[in-house]
Amino acid sequence: MRAVDLELAQRCRHGDADAFEELYRAHAGRLYNLVFRMAGSADEADDLLQDVFLHAHRKLASFRGDSSLGTWLYRLAVNHCLDFLRGRQAKMTRVTDSLDDEGASEPAAVAPSVPTAVSRIDLERAIARLPDGCRAAFVLHDVEGFEHNEVARLLGVSEGTSKSQVHKARMKLRAMLSGIA
Amino acid sequence: MSCRGYEEQIGDYVDGTMDEAQRAAFESHLAACASCRAAVADFTVLRAASLSLEPQVPSPQVWQRIAAAIDAERKPLLGFGGQRWWRAFAPAAATAVLVAALSWTAALLTPVPSQRLARVPASGAEPISILAEYQLAERHLTNTIEGLERIADTDRSSLDMETADVLKANLTVLDGAIGESREALKKEPENDVAQQSLFEALRNKVALLQDTIALINEMRKGNQEGAARIVSGLNQ
Repeated sequence: MRAVDLELAQRCRHGDADAFEELYRAHAGRLYNLVFRMAGSADEADDLLQDVFLHAHRKLASFRGDSSLGTWLYRLAVNHCLDFLRGRQAKMTRVTDSLDDEGASEPAAVAPSVPTAVSRIDLERAIARLPDGCRAAFVLHDVEGFEHNEVARLLGVSEGTSKSQVHKARMKLRAMLSGIA
Repeated sequence: MSCRGYEEQIGDYVDGTMDEAQRAAFESHLAACASCRAAVADFTVLRAASLSLEPQVPSPQVWQRIAAAIDAERKPLLGFGGQRWWRAFAPAAATAVLVAALSWTAALLTPVPSQRLARVPASGAEPISILAEYQLAERHLTNTIEGLERIADTDRSSLDMETADVLKANLTVLDGAIGESREALKKEPENDVAQQSLFEALRNKVALLQDTIALINEMRKGNQEGAARIVSGLNQ
C-alpha cells in the first residue's frame, strides 16, 4: 500500500493531472466529512476542502511514506481546520487555548431524555451549533471514531482535555436535542 | 465519591474504556443515581447516532476549482496574489515579488510530457530544447535565491540561529543534488533520469524557499505556533 501511495504521490509531483484527480476521488469524501463538521457549514466546507487539496498539492514533495497518503492528508486537513477556526476566532481566545483553559464540565441536571431515534438532521444542526473547541474534539472522537489519545495528538492537547471537551460537547448536544438550549 | 465525580466517568463508561473494577463501581453508583442513569442513556443514544451520520458529499464544483487553480499554477504568469491558495503566505511587499518569481519558476519547472519535446517559438526561429528551458529556469532560480538571501539578511532577527542553520544545511544538500545532476547532464544531455533528478531537486529547492518565506512571515507576525508547524514540516 505504501509503495502505491509513494508512486501516486510521485506521479502527482511530476504534474500528472490524472494522478491528482485520482488522489482527490480517493480521499475527498472522508476529508469532506471532517471539514464539514469541523467548520459547521457547507459553504465553508467546500472552500476548506479546496484549500486542503491545493495545500496538499504544494506539500506533496514532503510526503515520505512514513504514514499512508490518506493519514498524511487527514492530518493536513485537521491542521487546516484548526487554523481556520483560529482565524475565525481571531478576536477571542484561540481554539486550542480554549480547549486547555476550560475546566470542569457543566453542572449535571436531570434533563428530559434525548429522543431514542434522534433525527440525523437535528443532530447535524446541533453539532454545527457547538462552540468551535469542543466541536473539534467531539467530531474527531464521536463522529470520526478516534480514541482520546489520538484526538489529543491531532489537536495538540492532553488526553484529559480531549475527554473533558467531548463530555462538554455531549452535555450541550443533550441539552439542545432535549429542547433545552 | 460524589455524583459529580461519577459524572466525569460517564464518558468512559459509554465509550467502553473502563476496566472491570471501574465498571463495577460505576454500575453500583448507577443503580442508585437517576441523574447519571439518564445521562448514560442520552450519551449512548448520541454516540450511536454520531457514528451513523450520513456521509457528506462535496459539490462537483470543488474539484473543478481545484483543477483550474492547479492548471493556472502551471502557467508562467506573475501576479498570483489573487489566487486563494497564496493567502497563506500573506507576503509583505518585498516578499510578494519574490513569491511571484518563485511561482513562475515552479511553473516553468513542471515536467512536460514526452510528446512536447520542444517549445515552438515565433516563426523563423529554431525550437527551444527542454535542456535550454531547464537552464533558463535554473538562471531564474539562482536570481530568486539571491533575492531571498537579501531578504533573509534584512530580516535576520526574524529567524533564530538554529533555524537559519538548518535551512542553510538543507539548501546545501539540495545544491549538491543539483550539481550532481548537472554534471551528469553535461556528459549525457539526453539523460532522462538526470533530467528528472535535476527537476526534482529544483522543485524541492523551490518548495524549501517557499516554506522559508512563509516561516519568515510567521516569525514577523509573532505567530510562534504557525512558525513551529512550518519548522516541523521542514525537519520531516
